[in-house]
Amino acid sequence: MRFSPLAWAKLLFLRDLGPTEVGGFAISDAQDLLYLEDFVLIRQECSPVTVAFDDDAVAEFFDAQIDAGRRPEQFARVWVHTHPGNSATPSRVDEETFARVFGRSDWAVMAILAQGGQTFARLQFHTGPGGSLQIPVAVDWSRPFAASAWPDWNQEYLQNVRPDEFCHHQQIREHAGPLSVSEMLDGLTEHSHQFFNEKGPT
Amino acid sequence: MKILFINNDGAGFADHIEIADGTTVEQLFRKRVNEGNPADYLIRVNRQPASSDQVLQPGDRVSFTPTKIEGAGRT
Ligand SMILES: [Zn+2]
Repeated sequence: MRFSPLAWAKLLFLRDLGPTEVGGFAISDAQDLLYLEDFVLIRQECSPVTVAFDDDAVAEFFDAQIDAGRRPEQFARVWVHTHPGNSATPSRVDEETFARVFGRSDWAVMAILAQGGQTFARLQFHTGPGGSLQIPVAVDWSRPFAASAWPDWNQEYLQNVRPDEFCHHQQIREHAGPLSVSEMLDGLTEHSHQFFNEKGPT
Repeated sequence: MKILFINNDGAGFADHIEIADGTTVEQLFRKRVNEGNPADYLIRVNRQPASSDQVLQPGDRVSFTPTKIEGAGRT
């Protein structure tokens, strides 16, 4: 499975923006479903160790994607979320969701990116005999890609990620506040430092 | 009559389908999802929550989308 540089950069940016986990769906190339063009956040309630999508927001995401001319296999098959710490190994909750929600589709991928850079991706399929396998994650530099859009991504984060009660307190205590555009732009140097040191998928 | 039907199961589906006049939300669900548990789906008609006995109208947009998509970092 390959991320476009744009999708990968956006995922890293959103992972590192706030104190919470984040999750969303990857948008696949129509002709090459394991090439991920973009990553889209769904409105969600998050803590440092959990992410739960809002059910209405999932329905609205489907409506918007279908209105944009995409098919469900392009926007609702690759479920992506981040983990704190170094482990991208799926938790029990992850496994339950993957089986219950994505077990009804012909195929789906559970992709996890840990704060420390480790990645995990498992493809499960239910056509024919069915099965599942862990698949490698890479960034595909071989196609043209759009420029990063930090202010837009920051806005997408603000609109969709609702930190839970615990996080609010933690944010106030521990974070100078990476959550406004101006503060984020002030921190560009720090962020680019992080990006240039990012080793990419493991 | 024709409705726009959106369903994520199987290959995924987002297209116009033909249904009988008087079809209710529940009848459509049973026909398209059969053994599925309604609690695992958010059912909306024209982007609004729908009741199971709601009678569908020509041109309605009906979506069955997944619920409770949750992840966690620790077990
Ligand atoms: Zn997880």
